Amino acid sequence: MSERTATSDTATAFFEQLAERGHEPLLGKARGTVCVELIDGTSTETWLVTIDRGDLTVFQGTANADCTLRASRELFGQVVTGEVNAVAAVLRGAIGIEGDSELLVLFQRLFPGRSGAAATESDTGARGASR
Amino acid sequence: MSTGLVKILDGNTFVVSDASGDIDASRTDPTGLFSYDTRYLSKWVLTIDGQRLNSLSTDDLNYFEARFFLVRGTGTVYVDAKLSVIRQRAVGDGFHEELTLLNHDDQAVDLTVRFDAASDFADLFEVKDALEKKGTYSTSVERGELELGYERDTFARATRISSSVPAQVDGEGMTFKLRIEPHGEWTTDLDVVTAFVPASGMSRSRTRYARDGGSGRSNMESNLERWLETAPRIECSWEPLKPTYRRSLVDLAALRFSPPIAGGQSLPAAGLPWFMTMFGRDSILTSLQALPFKPELAATTIHALGTWQGTRVDDFRDEDPGRILHEARYGELPAFEERPHSPYFGSADATPLYVVLLDEYERWTGDTKLVREFEHEARAALNWIDQYADLMGNGYIWYQRRNEETGLENQCWKDSWDSISYRDGRIPSFPRATCEIQGYAYDAKVRGARLARLVWKDAALADRLEREAAELKRRFNRDFWVESDEYFALALDTEGKQVDALSSNIGHLLWSGIVDTSKAKAVARHLMGPRLFSGWGVRTLAAGEGRYNPIGYHVGTVWPFDCSFIAWGLRRYGFKEEAARIAAGILDAAEFFDGRLPEAFGGYERSVTRYPVEYPTACSPQAWSTGAPLLLLRTMLGLEPIGDNLVVDPTLPAGLGYLELLDIPGRWGRIDAFGRERVEAEPPTGLRRQLGSTPAPRSSRQRARRRT
Repeated sequence: MSERTATSDTATAFFEQLAERGHEPLLGKARGTVCVELIDGTSTETWLVTIDRGDLTVFQGTANADCTLRASRELFGQVVTGEVNAVAAVLRGAIGIEGDSELLVLFQRLFPGRSGAAATESDTGARGASR
Repeated sequence: MSTGLVKILDGNTFVVSDASGDIDASRTDPTGLFSYDTRYLSKWVLTIDGQRLNSLSTDDLNYFEARFFLVRGTGTVYVDAKLSVIRQRAVGDGFHEELTLLNHDDQAVDLTVRFDAASDFADLFEVKDALEKKGTYSTSVERGELELGYERDTFARATRISSSVPAQVDGEGMTFKLRIEPHGEWTTDLDVVTAFVPASGMSRSRTRYARDGGSGRSNMESNLERWLETAPRIECSWEPLKPTYRRSLVDLAALRFSPPIAGGQSLPAAGLPWFMTMFGRDSILTSLQALPFKPELAATTIHALGTWQGTRVDDFRDEDPGRILHEARYGELPAFEERPHSPYFGSADATPLYVVLLDEYERWTGDTKLVREFEHEARAALNWIDQYADLMGNGYIWYQRRNEETGLENQCWKDSWDSISYRDGRIPSFPRATCEIQGYAYDAKVRGARLARLVWKDAALADRLEREAAELKRRFNRDFWVESDEYFALALDTEGKQVDALSSNIGHLLWSGIVDTSKAKAVARHLMGPRLFSGWGVRTLAAGEGRYNPIGYHVGTVWPFDCSFIAWGLRRYGFKEEAARIAAGILDAAEFFDGRLPEAFGGYERSVTRYPVEYPTACSPQAWSTGAPLLLLRTMLGLEPIGDNLVVDPTLPAGLGYLELLDIPGRWGRIDAFGRERVEAEPPTGLRRQLGSTPAPRSSRQRARRRT
């Protein structure tokens, strides 16, 4: 892997944190494998996230995926920091998607909002009102 | 404005044309071929020898197809009866049009037939607000097909037009030179296909070019037949109720929207054609109305809204964890985050109503599997009520938009700027806590407790929710009760003072069950009193209030959907005859609109206008107006699932005679319900009698028969 920009590190950091998380209650009903293809010039880096009722396994390489999300490294870095909304990016064709759309909608729950607060404890009441 | 326009649709693809089938839209004209909130054709004009045609008649064959009979001529006196032109159009993946020319003359005829085509690729929001486009257009002619394209950065949309008979294609349309023998005919098929063009470098496999007009149409036909066949059947002695019921079912079929994540299942969209998309509030309330008839709509609504539930704090979208969306859109403006609808969450009532729907759905269907599947979402919704919606920290749901530019100011169902007011007409500041939302929150907690005990096996949660519900009810009955006149205030303001106008919202409180029994009688008296009850239904705002206006959108008009929930609420507190009177008024009004209730009609006294004055809106049918007769049928028959049984306790208005609803689906299989009239809903003398003119025998009977 060659040198990375700050944003591309963000993309990698996202997957590393996901792997550490192990279980994600927001994906409690999801089952399947999401493939994320990060395009960087002419090279493509592939991350796979297998979800089994919220249990996450993250790895790189090739495998059969139920859905694929394809974006430039830079854009994906902006998505995982909340600067860019993933659904809007799909609507304008900046992110390509294929396959099981329900799994994709569940997967986008992992991305933070524009005001930067990611929610991972939505049903525990751990967060107070934000205002 | 919409006079003479012909609308056909399938899901959220629709065509709005003039009576001859032509589309010739300016930027702000709401005509064209639309799909996923983008206009794919703004021009589609047929000419023969350079002249446009005149419409003889138009058949709306179905909600998804229309036929136009046209002739040549100047449109004034002379009509060339020697040539008939028939356009038959069906919406599919774009639309399919069959053009047939019949030569009635003894002479052969040589003709130049031309379709002019163009697209401005406007976003629905741009049509509404007359905004300028930022991208570039293209046209290309390839293999006898015309492709119109639009690109802005990575956003790309295209329209492809082709014909079965080869044509001379140019960048602005296609031309056919033809000869028709004496008494001969000529025909061609045209396909107009819409496409999301994937970003460059991405797979093109999702591009949906397909010529499926013919087969798509017959699928839709059989689909509609199945939809009608599987609905409960109605038998009644008041004839107009039958077409109203059928109209509701057909319109509900047209209003079905299948979001990509629902595996081909559909939920009710909000209105046709401009609101054919997922809405939190509208989809939930319509699913509730339709539960005894089409419970599968509720299942899809729970599934789709649950999957899209908010999970983060996003100020632009007014999103919070656990919040249920308000509206989803797919066009260019949301795509570039110039509008927040991807999706937008600015609704304060959809979230508690989501839990209400989940529980009511289980009570009817016994489908605990879905309740288990969406346990996480239901818990998150309940959590939202306390953790995110209580902006003032005093135990109520408040709303104030965080997106101050393009977010919604009023996040309750009465969403116009002047809907929430004090008696003297003053408008309160934000945040606001409207009363009906507190009722929904109470109901959500009570029902959430039931689900927690029954399905999620979490007694601690159930106990907590029940405690919170009781506490909310106690506080609400103290803080919102207008002591002097014995009703509930419309809202609380930021100082905790009552926004004290008398409104229809108090009827929703009865539905939610938050009203102390000791106060219910006074609430019912207000709802049926002369200031709120017009004779047709309950006014949104009482006559005599500062902002009352009988043709003001939320400040005096009567909304059939509102009335259907009010009638349900009256039933809940035992006011059966009052509920029947409201049902009688609304169903009677439906007859004036050929069974299709408008979104709202004027709040004029029935004895003054003698007919309901329609409020002009762009959307018809509106989903929750379509659902109103269904909920009123449930209310009149007193249908209530208790355990594994359906209890039938009819109270019908005079003139309805008998009413039988056969094959009601639910956890019991299929059951019939039967009722005979009892209540005398006698109007003042000199008026057309409500609901026919059958003398009312003072008896009541009921029957529930289980089908094997």
